[in-house]
Amino acid sequence: MSDFLQFVVAGLSAGAVYALVAMGFVAIFSVSGVINLAQGEFAAIAGLSALSFTDAGVPLPVAMLLALLVVAVVAVLMQRLAIAPVRRMTTLVSIILTLGVSTALKALLLLIYGPQGRGLAPLPGSDLVIGGVSVRAQELWILGITAVVAVAVAVFYDRTVLGKALRACAEQPVAARLVGISPKAAATVAFAVAGLLGAVAGVLASPIQLTQWDSGLLLGLKGFVAATLGGLVSIRGAVLGGLVLGVLESLTAGYVDSGYRDAVAFVLLIVVLVARPGGVFGRHAEARV
Amino acid sequence: MFGSAKRLAALLAAGALLAAGCAEEQPAAGGQGGEAEAGPFKIGAVLDITGAGASLGVPERDTLTLLTEELNAQGGIDGRQVEMIIEDNASTEDGAARAATKLITEDQVDILLGASRTGPSLAMRPIAESTPIPMISLAANAAIVNGSQWVFKTAQNDSVVIENIVEDAASKGYKTLALARDASGFGEGVRELFDEIGGPKGVSVIAVESFAPDATDFTAQMVNVRNANADAVVIWGIPPAAGLAQKAYVQLGVGKPVYQSHGIGNQVFLDTAAEAADGLVAPLGRLVVADQLPEDDPQKKVITDFIAAYRGEYDAAPSTFAGHAYDGFQLAVDALRNAGTEPEAVRSYLEGIDDFVGVSGTFSMSPEDHSGLTADDLVLVTVAGGKFQLVP
Repeated sequence: MSDFLQFVVAGLSAGAVYALVAMGFVAIFSVSGVINLAQGEFAAIAGLSALSFTDAGVPLPVAMLLALLVVAVVAVLMQRLAIAPVRRMTTLVSIILTLGVSTALKALLLLIYGPQGRGLAPLPGSDLVIGGVSVRAQELWILGITAVVAVAVAVFYDRTVLGKALRACAEQPVAARLVGISPKAAATVAFAVAGLLGAVAGVLASPIQLTQWDSGLLLGLKGFVAATLGGLVSIRGAVLGGLVLGVLESLTAGYVDSGYRDAVAFVLLIVVLVARPGGVFGRHAEARV
Repeated sequence: MFGSAKRLAALLAAGALLAAGCAEEQPAAGGQGGEAEAGPFKIGAVLDITGAGASLGVPERDTLTLLTEELNAQGGIDGRQVEMIIEDNASTEDGAARAATKLITEDQVDILLGASRTGPSLAMRPIAESTPIPMISLAANAAIVNGSQWVFKTAQNDSVVIENIVEDAASKGYKTLALARDASGFGEGVRELFDEIGGPKGVSVIAVESFAPDATDFTAQMVNVRNANADAVVIWGIPPAAGLAQKAYVQLGVGKPVYQSHGIGNQVFLDTAAEAADGLVAPLGRLVVADQLPEDDPQKKVITDFIAAYRGEYDAAPSTFAGHAYDGFQLAVDALRNAGTEPEAVRSYLEGIDDFVGVSGTFSMSPEDHSGLTADDLVLVTVAGGKFQLVP
């Protein structure tokens, strides 16, 4: 039993990171129909820039906040330079375009930071053992911060004017324009939000999973699968999708074979796309169709 | 008028093509026969510079660059410069095969170095053998050189590492081992070797877990290792994975003595595992404990000179992997100096290497043994306070 709980704990903390990346996918897709394959790179940029800030002597929490800022700027720049100029943006075009941006960003990171992976120092706290289950302090931070961020994002979309405006763009783009919401501004805000979400994932995961130039690739793919579980438009679905994916991976590694760990996400993706293309947890899936 | 101009152009183009063809012929003939002394010696290296093997490949690249510069500054090999062409295989087997083919056919190198890890080295082996061209791998698994005519290697064989571990385990009375091994070529056959070497000494492996070389979560493996309840644990991998596994081993309270392989001899391991590394035992090359070696150790001078040169250039201590690259380079240069570029001559010269003092050990090759190192070329090392220490 304690083995099972141990696997679940490890799965939840990995899943929380997927959930953060997944929310980033949803933030952009639901507003502009763009699937941003550079979402994983946001996490890698955050981890690596936080590392260079701490190397320069900046205290860890400040370095993490600065990294968030860096990534938000990168995300907005990406939207302005690569996404906004395209006149007829379709989802397919966006996939090709953002894949290009992702490849360019990876190459840039490799040039700047070199090929070796490193980990950010973990946040303070001591590891716990509860009933034979070991929980790292960093895992508690990951779960806690993800919960706070998820609630904040949900409140943002449900309760604030800006969030409601973004949702209006997603659900009724023409009507949104008629009442004076600029789709351009909305897309910019969506990218900034997605950048921040990816960056939080990056700085939180770095102490455990290490960060290198290409660590955004797998993280982005897993986040995408998690978002797809929620139909790509539901924040709650994305969070749930991330956690479920993380736990499933961990249980597969523990009870079946650790070699199949990375296969779980892709098997799950195929099953969901064939059986429930609208997502398993997505309540608002119909809204976009 | 128009027609003749066209013909002239065609003739000119044909002439240019012919001239280019001839120009290409010449260096090829020089490289093969060795009678034309013009042009540099060419050494091609295929390294795991990006991907899972980055912590090995980067210092290897730096070492080869440094040594080539030093050698050329001193006039090269008997007045001929050495050109070092380094290719990244992205830690993949197909990347290694592609890079090796490119170095052989396009760059026409005289000798191949690499790869950093076992899998990519195994992918290069058939290419080196069918060309044929001498190749010196920097990786561990004995399968890279077993039964090969053309492939040599500088990293200590996995079998001599296991001999050291088994001997230490037997002397401490451990009878059962749980093994967590790299799922790539480096960990391939390790269990079988433990059975073969440990069997006669009463040491057996009772559980095997594997992990991808770029894995970051080791909860599953370490929980299963913990449940195996063996007398001791062996973690067999390379940094940073080996360091993360060591961390998980401590975090999940496996609580048994732990051995690591010779794959951990670098700062990345110490940084990744941090205090979790304290107390482990690993058979490593003498490089990591250079300052603790007795003055009369035959390798002491070679190792301390190498460390000084590497520090002077890169301001960091070289890893054991840098040492494997150093040995590969010195063996290649020694062979080119004494045997020329004729592949067969280089090959038989390398097979005759005897008492060649390097960083990874003292090499004595033979037609049957293309590794040339024994269990004595490793020392048992532990970690205390973030530093490698000789086991007293």
